[in-house]
Amino acid sequence: MNKPLQIHEIWVYLSGSPLLALILTLSAYQIGFTIYQKSNRLPIANPVAIAVILVASALEIIDMPYSKYFQGAQFVHFLLGTATVALAIPIYRGIRGLKGRMIPLVIALVCGAMTSIFSAVSVARYMGASNDIVGALIAKSVTAPIAMGVAERIHTSPTLTAVFAVITGIFGAVFARYVFDILGMKVWWQRGFAIGLAAHGIGTSRAFSVHPEAGTYASLAMGLHGILGAVVIPFIASYIPY
Amino acid sequence: MISGLVQILLWQGLGELISHEWLKTIPGPVIGLVLLLVFLIWRDRVPDAMGLVADGLSQHLGLLFVPAATGVILFLPQLREHALAVFTALVVSVVATVAVTVIVLRLLSGNTPHE
Repeated sequence: MNKPLQIHEIWVYLSGSPLLALILTLSAYQIGFTIYQKSNRLPIANPVAIAVILVASALEIIDMPYSKYFQGAQFVHFLLGTATVALAIPIYRGIRGLKGRMIPLVIALVCGAMTSIFSAVSVARYMGASNDIVGALIAKSVTAPIAMGVAERIHTSPTLTAVFAVITGIFGAVFARYVFDILGMKVWWQRGFAIGLAAHGIGTSRAFSVHPEAGTYASLAMGLHGILGAVVIPFIASYIPY
Repeated sequence: MISGLVQILLWQGLGELISHEWLKTIPGPVIGLVLLLVFLIWRDRVPDAMGLVADGLSQHLGLLFVPAATGVILFLPQLREHALAVFTALVVSVVATVAVTVIVLRLLSGNTPHE
């Protein structure tokens, strides 16, 4: 005789398979993305930030430990590497559109990248932040998929690094225009490159929504900063005590 | 579209291999990225299938780091304790980075502000 399946049996089955974690992750992101679009792409309504809050609350409610959630969600996580390789395509498109500006761009890239690392580390250190936090700030202006790989290499938390990267992206997308206006910077490609360098993917999508040329230069800056960060941060990090 | 994904995965595999064997400080996917970039510059075009996959991935790049970023719940006590330091460091750093980058670009390219 077939006994009707009890609700808790279904629950036990579901929570044991990766399906639940995947449903949680994707539906939370879907909700976040819908809110983001409904808000006219306001940086503060960032889909990742919304998704993280939703997933974290859901885990709290159903009392699922993070490690168990991650076991299921790692199928999404795995694609980070693939997405990193695919960044070659927007970088290539950006390089093709350059009009002999490579040298100023590379110099600005190096100056911006160093400013990002040393300003964050020294402010955090001065204000007494813990070593975990200082370490995770080093790669925070690099695009999150690359920053997390770098964080593993320099033995700091990939999770904190990803969180700081997302917050940096949001702050960059919100504040950059005021910085440009105060400094009187009106050239689109320069604004785009600066925001892509400082605020990676989130800044880049902001730049695309303002001006296409700014967007192209922002994605170029994000990609080049990713490559530069992956190469030099392991060396720089060995000189920063954390 | 599948052929684009296969090609990207192969470049990723090659990058992982090189990272594992010779260049341990650089993550494999970044090496894959650089190799693919060199390949694209050499071929001077992006294969259609690869462009499709790349656009799909980059449009929803954020989705991919939701699982890792959710790990922030393990760090909440520490973040709460240092909230002001974290907030200040992130704001100061992003403002300084944007400012330095745009000023350097402006100085080096010598454009008029109204180009």
